[in-house]
Amino acid sequence: MSNVIVNRVKEFLKQFPPFSFIDEKSLEAVAREVEVKYYEKDEVLFTKGEEAQDCFFVLKEGSVKLFDVKNEQENIIEICDEGDVFGVLALLGKRPYILNAKAQEDSLVYAIPVLTFEQLLQQNSRVSLYFAAGFASGQVVVRNDLSDSQKARSIFSQASEDKGLLIFTGNSDFNYSKEVLTCSLDSTIQQAARMMGEKGVGSIIIVNEQNHPLGIITDKDIRNRFVVKALPFHTPVSHLMSTPVLTKSQSSDFSDLYLTMVKSRLHHLIFTEDGSPDSPVTGILSDHDLLLSQGNSPAVLIKALMNTDEVKEMAKIRNRAEQLLRYYLENEVSMDFVANIISEINDIIIQKALKLAELKLQAEFPEAKKVKYCFVSLGSEGREEQLLRTDLDNAIIFENVPETALEETQKYFLELGELVVEILLSCGFQPCPAKMMANNPKWCQPLAEWKQYFSEWILTPTQDSLLKATIFFDFRAIYGQKQLANALTEHIYQEISTKNIFLNFLAKNALLNPPPLGFFRNFILEKSGEQRDKFDIKLRAMMPLADIARLLVLSHKIVGVNNTFKRFEKLAELEPNYGELMLEAGKAYEILMRMRAIEGIKNQSSGRYISPEDLGKLQRQLLKNTFYPIDELQKIIKVRYQLDYFGN
Amino acid sequence: MGLLDFLFRKKIKADFVSSYEEKCKQSIPSQRPIDQLTFIVLDTETTGLNPEKDKIVSFGAVKIHHGKILVKNSREFYFETSENKNEALKVHEVLYPKDPVRMEAFAKDLLSFLEHHIIVGHHIGFDLKVLENSLSSFGLKKFLNPVLDTQYLAVRLEKGYHYDISTGKPGEYSLDSLCERYKIPLNDRHTAAGDSFLTAQLLLKLLKKAEKIGIGDFKSLMR
Repeated sequence: MSNVIVNRVKEFLKQFPPFSFIDEKSLEAVAREVEVKYYEKDEVLFTKGEEAQDCFFVLKEGSVKLFDVKNEQENIIEICDEGDVFGVLALLGKRPYILNAKAQEDSLVYAIPVLTFEQLLQQNSRVSLYFAAGFASGQVVVRNDLSDSQKARSIFSQASEDKGLLIFTGNSDFNYSKEVLTCSLDSTIQQAARMMGEKGVGSIIIVNEQNHPLGIITDKDIRNRFVVKALPFHTPVSHLMSTPVLTKSQSSDFSDLYLTMVKSRLHHLIFTEDGSPDSPVTGILSDHDLLLSQGNSPAVLIKALMNTDEVKEMAKIRNRAEQLLRYYLENEVSMDFVANIISEINDIIIQKALKLAELKLQAEFPEAKKVKYCFVSLGSEGREEQLLRTDLDNAIIFENVPETALEETQKYFLELGELVVEILLSCGFQPCPAKMMANNPKWCQPLAEWKQYFSEWILTPTQDSLLKATIFFDFRAIYGQKQLANALTEHIYQEISTKNIFLNFLAKNALLNPPPLGFFRNFILEKSGEQRDKFDIKLRAMMPLADIARLLVLSHKIVGVNNTFKRFEKLAELEPNYGELMLEAGKAYEILMRMRAIEGIKNQSSGRYISPEDLGKLQRQLLKNTFYPIDELQKIIKVRYQLDYFGN
Repeated sequence: MGLLDFLFRKKIKADFVSSYEEKCKQSIPSQRPIDQLTFIVLDTETTGLNPEKDKIVSFGAVKIHHGKILVKNSREFYFETSENKNEALKVHEVLYPKDPVRMEAFAKDLLSFLEHHIIVGHHIGFDLKVLENSLSSFGLKKFLNPVLDTQYLAVRLEKGYHYDISTGKPGEYSLDSLCERYKIPLNDRHTAAGDSFLTAQLLLKLLKKAEKIGIGDFKSLMR
């Protein structure tokens, strides 16, 4: 690392609080992590509602305005000057921005990763106080003229006055439920649950005779603290409820509510007449309502996607979808629904990307652009299971063209594939390390060639072709002529029906995955490398299930069910004697998907490697339980295929 | 190191050179948008202005990834040469560094840092020649990366393709005058690392300018 450069950055930061409170050594550590970015006049740094980036900003030169938009009117809240610190809400965790930031002049900005700073916040009380003062007073910019902690402290003490909160939008922006379900303290859980079920709501407030709130019970409480612990039905609600509750007056402004929920990390806020817990309940606000108020419902995101032709905008929306995903995961929304929404969003991005690419290439390829084609996703995206933006696997099938046109046609589709892959990478997806992507000449072929590929894999099931089979057999048409994909599917079933032995090979392959548990029922962890002592949830738990589901679906010649857990549901119908096991396997797969996605979001990784130590006891048990159906299914497969095969 | 050793080395290609060459086979897709590209901006200071004869004294570089200069991914090295030893005696603290780097360690680090990314510099041809000479003993013939000269880019953006720089005012496209024109404060000028940081900031500004006139992807940038 260059000392000259680190020093240059450090010397700049040092002039301004809170960096001026930091000792040389720690400040150097901060300076090292800085990323320098340049924004032209009118370029947007972040927008309201967008998930906070993993850094906050210091303005090096230029000027940045922070503003809100209300009734299509720009309302400037702050103009940042050299040395001002902004975008600091990122330090409170990945919450959405509350304002827009735009460069007012050409500006050079230092981005400081939250991760680097978090540690400092814990160790250096002056720095944390400084920020706390800013947050509490609702400041959006950490001003450089508040250079001593004395001042910071004095602001801190008047925090309750919230004078700076004008920066937030008004009350009209959020909806909350005025009809609140309540019950008395002596009700039983069964009664409370029945009431929630009847009204179709996710929470119930426990009140006293004067209708003052005493506590709250949510769906999640019933699942996690009641069902899991197998408490009796007549357990009183008082045993389960969360108390005390957080109350506010519904006339509080949005900002106040927002910050209260952010800081307390609670999911529900109860409105009472005077805002204190000692007055009657008037309404309830969930963080879901807040999320919606910021335009993060799937419908809003999908609509926004449909309406944009800007790759940068698409990337932003995909980032917001991740925020939605986190919310869903935390709140245990059904996997079916979550996978559906996220796949839908991914599909729209791909479709948009293809349309953009077609437009860009149409002048250059007047003939080739008329050729019909189908863009397919493979692997987990093909199975509609890709929650995180892990590796891209996709391909292009185009209709058969005369020999003379083939070269030009393929050139066109390769460029098309290249453009699409580039757009997807810009949207945060990762490239496939094995290059199974539409910009690879091998996977951008006419239908005849694709049929040839599959025939070959089915006819000569080598290790390599079985591997390809596991990825390519899960293809799903995303855009273009679906008939081309259907023709391929038909071809595959025809081939398999004449070469039944292929399924035996596929079965054998499905049993090759290493077992998840050792002899002592301990997790088998990675022995070496970067992922040492971690559990490979994809290889050891998810792949065996996905492989088995694919195999059985193929053996029943089912078309159009790609999802692993939906495949198991289908299989439960087809093999009623194993119905329960199949359903269990599907459930297990859903749990594994959820665990992986949570892990991935937490660590900004593919979520593939989990360290069992970090899991709670309950989760560890949950994970272990998912292995049971794997084991059972593998036994069945062994009997059904391998033994038959060796018997031949 | 004996003479034989030295001669032997010259012929044999070091492993890290081979793996660098392997990596460079991976080309950057021509459609990749500018904000998704990775650049290595570098600068060298030498004992003179003759790249064949003069030796490298110091080296500095920063990485730009997705439009951001990553301070963490910067480099700064000093080398021991017969000349600077004498100098160093005279002006000890001012010029010379505590730990000169060994050429082999430098070569390894440089090639793994460069990977197949785009090399950028001001008058980069000179720096590349100096570096190629320094690394030739490990079997490196030529850098295989795409190369972008900020001087050339600035001229192209301001005057167009066919402008002949020698017809303009002398020094109009020197790093100093460009930094002045693009409002980049001249800090740490004439240290390799300082200059590479300045050049990197210049590049960020030039790239935005390029995007405005429709130079949006790798292919059109490298034209």
